Amino acid sequence: MHEIVVERLGGRAIAGRSHVGVVASGNLEVLCEPAAAPRTRITVRTTVNGFDAIWRAVLERFLERHAVAADIEVNDFGATPAMVTLRLEQALEAADA
Amino acid sequence: MNSVRTPVSFAEATPRERLRALVDDFVEFLDPFARVSSPHLAAHGLVAQRDDGVVVGRGRLAGSTVGAVAIDGRFLGGSIGEVGGAKIAATLEAAPGGALIAFDTGGIRLQEANLGILAIAEICDAIVALRARAPVVAVIAGRVGCYGGMSLAASLCSHIVMTEGARLGLNGPDVVEQEAGPDEMDARDRPAIWRLTGGARRVAQGHADALAPDDCAALAMAVRAAFGALSQHLERLSTTRLRASFDAALGGEP
Amino acid sequence: MTRGEHWVRTLLGDAAVAAADGVPSVRVADGTLDGAAWRAVAVVPNPVARFPRARGGELGLDEGLALADAVRGAPPDAAILAIVDVPGQAFGRREEAAGLQLALAAAVNAYATERRAGRPIFALVVGKAISGAFLAHGLQAGWIGALRDPGVEVHVMPAASVARVTRATPDEVARVATIVPATARDIVTFARFGAIDALFDVHDPLAPSSAERAAIVRALVDARERGLGTRAPRERLATDAARRTRAPALDVRDRIARAWQS
Repeated sequence: MHEIVVERLGGRAIAGRSHVGVVASGNLEVLCEPAAAPRTRITVRTTVNGFDAIWRAVLERFLERHAVAADIEVNDFGATPAMVTLRLEQALEAADA
Repeated sequence: MNSVRTPVSFAEATPRERLRALVDDFVEFLDPFARVSSPHLAAHGLVAQRDDGVVVGRGRLAGSTVGAVAIDGRFLGGSIGEVGGAKIAATLEAAPGGALIAFDTGGIRLQEANLGILAIAEICDAIVALRARAPVVAVIAGRVGCYGGMSLAASLCSHIVMTEGARLGLNGPDVVEQEAGPDEMDARDRPAIWRLTGGARRVAQGHADALAPDDCAALAMAVRAAFGALSQHLERLSTTRLRASFDAALGGEP
Repeated sequence: MTRGEHWVRTLLGDAAVAAADGVPSVRVADGTLDGAAWRAVAVVPNPVARFPRARGGELGLDEGLALADAVRGAPPDAAILAIVDVPGQAFGRREEAAGLQLALAAAVNAYATERRAGRPIFALVVGKAISGAFLAHGLQAGWIGALRDPGVEVHVMPAASVARVTRATPDEVARVATIVPATARDIVTFARFGAIDALFDVHDPLAPSSAERAAIVRALVDARERGLGTRAPRERLATDAARRTRAPALDVRDRIARAWQS
């Protein structure tokens, strides 16, 4: 079990919090909450070790597009990068709604 | 005026969608943001889901305030651990007007064995206690079905509604095959397994009380009907009736 | 003679042992301890049981029903003592087809309803206590004692199946059991969770001395006098042990109790 934390400055407020997904094989759950500080912090817990570089690439790409003030928690059970990106986008969309 | 409604699969719905379909005014207790999840899974290299695979809360059903429980069969097979088990027991113990429990579970979570079995003992007792004063309706309509220690809990409820696609049994086919050999049970023979333990058969045997289609609205109707009907558990658990059915079961293929 | 059979006789005497309901694998003995009525119930092997997968002392179809009837049919003033020594559940096609879950649920139902109606229910674990069988025969008791002995174990699934289901090797499963108490199988670790009220040292579980027997009888009589036999399973959470080892469960319960009130 492995934890990865990525943080980037970001000041755009989100409307509320959101929760998407499920910790099933090949899947992940994402919890998204507004943060007081102007930065996005993404904390990932994953069952699979050894993919730090890929995780950081996926997360950085997401953060480049969404500079929000939020705490995002990811609980991953071996999802693909495409699935991770999808869930992050879903979570943000739901939080903005 | 007739309207054609598209069926919405209950089996494909999430636990929260299931509860919102079955009860009104659902309010969740200890949602994922409460972050009350299992502290035991990291040692097994597993990531904990924030609701521990169990969604609980309260809702309204046929005019009563009920405890509402839905087990998430997608997280570790819907298995019951310390936190999820406590969520279920605590919800049932204080429910004023009865309860609705959507079972989608393989039973005790192996990674939390001792804590899981203790929790299920508490859940069984909570059902017996609540059942004495208000309806406790079990819905078995998910993909995992209802197995292991939780099959005992479901069997204690005052009413059980099942779908054809769901199964109810004590030992899953994999475990029976592992313990008794493939001649006893072929875990890959899915049609045979559903013939033995699927909803249609269980309702025909009287192990469950009502069969409903895999549709949220139809299940909601079946649950409301069950809630207002005479309790079925006395008949279902009658040792006289069961002894006669076991006598008949002897002698091979049912 | 298995431990279960042995302890029924040890505690309530030879002469009282009789089969329940024509099911020789469920032994029932009515007697007295310190002048009060008790009924001991145990599941034992029956090599010629009509369901072949339940011949080794497992809790099968017939056994579940016989247990339920033995508990309900006990003399009105008798406390029940469940003697627990069950090597496993009956794993079989006929069992699943006929509805083993209902046979065991009938036993759970009998124990729980009788206890809630005021009949003291006790359990003494003298051998293995497995999963559904332990839920059906033992875990609905208000007070549970156990022998402190390597042959006394609590399992939720046979080890080979655990390995397969969790995709680990049997060695890994055994190793994890030494670091995760919730997965340990020995009774001493299980007792740390607060569900075992007393552990008894017995030199030879198949030949207890009269002093060893007396200690257990004294504990049972005392527990009955103190009204411990009618406690609900949730009351185990109030023990000191549970406060230490079941804190997450206690926290959840506290928060949900408050959520119901608001």
